[in-house]
Amino acid sequence: MYRPGRMLRPVHSSATFLDGNGKVAVSQTTLNAGPTPGRSAKRSIYISEGTSRWRRFVSFSIEGFLFLVTSLSLIAVFFIILFIAIDAIPFFQLEGFTEFFTSIRWYPSGSPPEFGALAIIFGSGMVTFLAAMIAVPLALLSAVSLSDILPFSVRQFAKPVIEIIAAIPSVAYGFFALVVFAPILQTSGGHLLGILVWLFGAPLALIVSFVVGDMLADRIFGDNVTQVQRTAILLLLMGIFSVGLYFLYAPISAIKISSGTNALNVSIILGIMALPTIVSVSEDALQAVGRELREGSYALGATRAETITKVVIPAARSGIIAAIILGIMRAIGETMVVWMASGNASQIPSPWYNVLEPVRTLTATIAGDMGEADHVTGSSRYHVLFAMALFLLLISFFSNLISEWAVMRSKKKWGV
Amino acid sequence: MKAHTRKILDKSFTGMGFMSVILLTLSLVIVLGPIFVRGIQAFLFFDTVEYRRMQLDLFDRGDPEEVKAELDEVWAERRFIYDTIAAFEEQVENEEIENSWEYPEKIDSLNDSLKALFGPRPDEPEPVLPRDRYGETRWDRAQQTFKLVMYKEQWDYSDPSAMGSKVLVPRIDSFRGTTVEQIFPYMEENLEKLMLPEFTFYWQFLTDKSHDIHFFGGIGAEVLGTFYLVIGTMLFAIPIGVIAAIYLAEFAKEGKIVSLLRTAISTLAGVPSIVFGLFGLAFFINTMEVSQSKSVLAGSLTLTLLVLPTIIRAAEEAILAVPKAYKEASLSLGASKLYTILKVILPAAMPGILTGIVISMGRAAGETAPIIFTAAVSVGQPLGLFETLNQPTMALPWNIYNLVTEHEAVDQIRHVQFGMVFTLVLLVVVLNFAAIVLRARISKKLRG
Amino acid sequence: MSQTDAKNVRVSKMQLSKDSIHQKKILNPETEKGHVISEDFSVFYGNTEAIVKANLSMPAKKVTAIIGPSGCGKSTVLRAINRMNDLIPGCYAKGKLIFDDEDIYSQYTDVVLLRKRIGMVFQKPNPFPKSIFDNIAFGPRLCGIRRKSDLQEVFEKSCRQAALWDEVKDRLEDNALGLSGGQQQRLCLARALAVDPEILLMDEPTSALDPRATSKIEDLIRELRGTYTIIIVTHNMQQAARVSDYTAFFYEGVLIEFAPTSELFTNPREKKTEEYITGRFG
Ligand SMILES: Nc1ncnc2c1ncn2[C@@H]1O[C@H](COP(=O)(O)OP(=O)(O)OP(=O)(O)O)[C@@H](O)[C@H]1O
Ligand SMILES: [Mg+2]
Repeated sequence: MYRPGRMLRPVHSSATFLDGNGKVAVSQTTLNAGPTPGRSAKRSIYISEGTSRWRRFVSFSIEGFLFLVTSLSLIAVFFIILFIAIDAIPFFQLEGFTEFFTSIRWYPSGSPPEFGALAIIFGSGMVTFLAAMIAVPLALLSAVSLSDILPFSVRQFAKPVIEIIAAIPSVAYGFFALVVFAPILQTSGGHLLGILVWLFGAPLALIVSFVVGDMLADRIFGDNVTQVQRTAILLLLMGIFSVGLYFLYAPISAIKISSGTNALNVSIILGIMALPTIVSVSEDALQAVGRELREGSYALGATRAETITKVVIPAARSGIIAAIILGIMRAIGETMVVWMASGNASQIPSPWYNVLEPVRTLTATIAGDMGEADHVTGSSRYHVLFAMALFLLLISFFSNLISEWAVMRSKKKWGV
Repeated sequence: MKAHTRKILDKSFTGMGFMSVILLTLSLVIVLGPIFVRGIQAFLFFDTVEYRRMQLDLFDRGDPEEVKAELDEVWAERRFIYDTIAAFEEQVENEEIENSWEYPEKIDSLNDSLKALFGPRPDEPEPVLPRDRYGETRWDRAQQTFKLVMYKEQWDYSDPSAMGSKVLVPRIDSFRGTTVEQIFPYMEENLEKLMLPEFTFYWQFLTDKSHDIHFFGGIGAEVLGTFYLVIGTMLFAIPIGVIAAIYLAEFAKEGKIVSLLRTAISTLAGVPSIVFGLFGLAFFINTMEVSQSKSVLAGSLTLTLLVLPTIIRAAEEAILAVPKAYKEASLSLGASKLYTILKVILPAAMPGILTGIVISMGRAAGETAPIIFTAAVSVGQPLGLFETLNQPTMALPWNIYNLVTEHEAVDQIRHVQFGMVFTLVLLVVVLNFAAIVLRARISKKLRG
Repeated sequence: MSQTDAKNVRVSKMQLSKDSIHQKKILNPETEKGHVISEDFSVFYGNTEAIVKANLSMPAKKVTAIIGPSGCGKSTVLRAINRMNDLIPGCYAKGKLIFDDEDIYSQYTDVVLLRKRIGMVFQKPNPFPKSIFDNIAFGPRLCGIRRKSDLQEVFEKSCRQAALWDEVKDRLEDNALGLSGGQQQRLCLARALAVDPEILLMDEPTSALDPRATSKIEDLIRELRGTYTIIIVTHNMQQAARVSDYTAFFYEGVLIEFAPTSELFTNPREKKTEEYITGRFG
């Protein structure tokens, strides 16, 4: 019979096992596994010093190999910073810092060439800021609803939606911005803006009139206010808001947009693209706030809204900040959408907050100018693009550190 | 605040939550809607007789006899138009009608518009470029072009304060009282007979190579290029990513070095994609010289860096989610650590790892910026397998950009652009759905 | 283990019997032989000493039960025997733990060889998410058995030993997770037996099972006794009384009493033991 074990090879003699009827004939002696004298000598748990050393060497090598492969990420990060810097530094050596950061004149192929990137940096900042303005409120609301408000079935539906929004390639968003959205903005942008104002304004006005109406009714009619009185005040307020919104529509819809490829267009699209990051990271942070804290708040008689705004969100603050930073990074680093639909005009809009004018961003400049600059490797025109990349890289590097620190802090706080 | 008010506030808060999710969904629908609706039309559309002629010429598809019969049929119908115009031209030349001096220009314009619709006449010499050889191949485009036969575009500068605007003037007005007048109602009535529209499912759009820079044909070269890039990327990213995940989950002892590694991975995840592109150019091509110039290999290596964090995180999470009991059982049976990882932990973690892989395949397929300087070209031939080592390739994301911004006839090939975007988006969405389904199955399994 | 121990890693029996008078009194030297013997054996989790200088000798081919209140270190002792504690960062052992005349915590010990000889059944049934056959064949395959007929042979033998054969013989390729809890636990037992171990460690093997499945496992333990050395941790004192020959009572990491089961339950020497078995705490 066989004995599995390092020293003992299997012996194929099944006859001892099965008798004629196919039944196992197990004799006590064959099964006896105790430490019989003859056997304990063979079945030692010790290994020789040589084997032990060899084993340790093998496991050390395996672990070393795994470590080396893992550290490829670290090496990659190091090399990315190094190689971008190597090609960026010559630019500053050749042209200095002042022009790059203070001038708005960007004529890299002129003679003499001019490398003022201020307008481009401004453009990047502008679309990013605007995108954040659009994405952050919507994303935070969604995150809160996903973690605390919505019933499970809606959550099951919303998660894939968010994942698909995150998965759509940026060139598809850029295509949408350029081919679908820009023409609509150009031909009927004013009306679109008007509709947007209604879309966001109407529900807000509804909520405000409900709440203010309720408070007013209590204030005016005292404690024994009737339902009729409440409704009257509510209708009055809603009327006022509707009239206000109606008159707001006219001036807004009169706005003419001369070019559909502008800062507003890309900001809206970038906002949509940044949504999934912010939603999922801040939802994680909200979920990490324990059940006990919420239940404690409910036990004190707080409503769900109060629990969320006064207890849950403050507790998840650092995670939410990290989420916002990551979302903003996504918007800053995005290339295709801005390249295709921002208009690529290296200018500071006039007035500077005019979001309906074309702008140009760092990423789009790198993507667009490298095609020509590639032929003149070694010139300032080539190196300036690396300088921009270095600038982007440093921003993303530090925001990443900050967000990681924030996540770490919230994790430590909640012990997850 | 009164309890009543607080309740209302709470309700409106809930309402806002629902609204935000509706808005999210709405934005997805708004973005995907046009892409899907118009993208499908690259595959399913009404073609014309010109399309069938083109398919026969360029792709050797269809029955020559049948196409010939159809061509004879339409040219029999079209003959009336051309004969009428020819007769009128003769009249003009012989100055048999009033104001004959003003007609040649109008006739030329009419002839040009007809040529755009029907293609060159059979008796004309065959043009060099394929785009000039055929009339409108799609019924929807034919109807638009027909509008330009019926109406002439003119610039209206009557309002000096505004910029000039385009107006459409009926062409028939220019030929009032002449014999040519009758061809307009004739064409309007018989347009179907003149073009013979027919419903078609052009699935070969995915595999055909393009003719004359996407005027005709499909996106086979782009699809193939994207396929190469995705496979190449996965070839590097899967082993590296899974090994790194195994190390982090099973071997690493938390400490300074490991937290440095983790920081590096999250930093890598945050690097803007265009920076990856520049790095790929500066490092893989200019320094390492993995290839003389752009190549699929260089692009794959660059994309590998981009998707690595995704794979590592997903795989590590999947490995950590494997119940500790499996590991303990295996070790207690006398299995070594490596054997346990390979035979017990990895198989159990496989669905989760696959989820990460599938999602990163979608990213590798869709990313544009990293391949601009490392792998992508606008025009070229489909590559053979070994050419990927040193040849640049066409790829869906790059060629989408290229076709909408740099193509000479952007408006005429909208259907190709939409078809390309649709293909790419569908690919990515399908991959992500696969990931979602996989994940649902995992959570079901973990629950019991 | 210090370097000096490396020279004479085989512990002489003379030395042993001199040191462990305690066991000598309990085990009958004629008929019983310590299979696992601990000498001033301590286990630490970081700085906390979870097992404090335990001295006991668990006899070969007998059932030894370990009882004690929750958190007293029962699992720790058990998992020290097949060195599963190695998985826990910061966990280390001091003193001697002798298995078949060899020190489990010697630097020359190979945990793989050790664990092949010391099988374990866990508290919650933990079959692999594989087929029933693959679960049991896992160990033999590890030992280099590849031939299907050999594997089948081991499979049948282990299943019969674990009283599982009749229930699984027609569904070898089914997923093991589809079995009932009791069947899963017997599958885990069969899986451990398939490696042909000498000792079976069981950490509360019935605490996740219903009474019927529990009694089946207990029957099995009684059947396997005499063939294997069985060390079982249990919360259930009736169970300890039913199945074991010897019982060790731990309290806050200290071995309070070790005695033949009947003696410990009827006539405990220590006051703590009495308090525990009469249910005054725990
Ligand atoms: N991984 C660990 N790290 C630190 N301390 C631990 C660890 N595992 C157990 N302990 C501590 O060691 C002591 C003994 O734990 P052990 O699990 O052996 O108890 P037990 O008797 O098996 O309890 P139970 O009956 O609940 O299973 C406990 O005080 C416990 O807190
Ligand atoms: Mg325990």
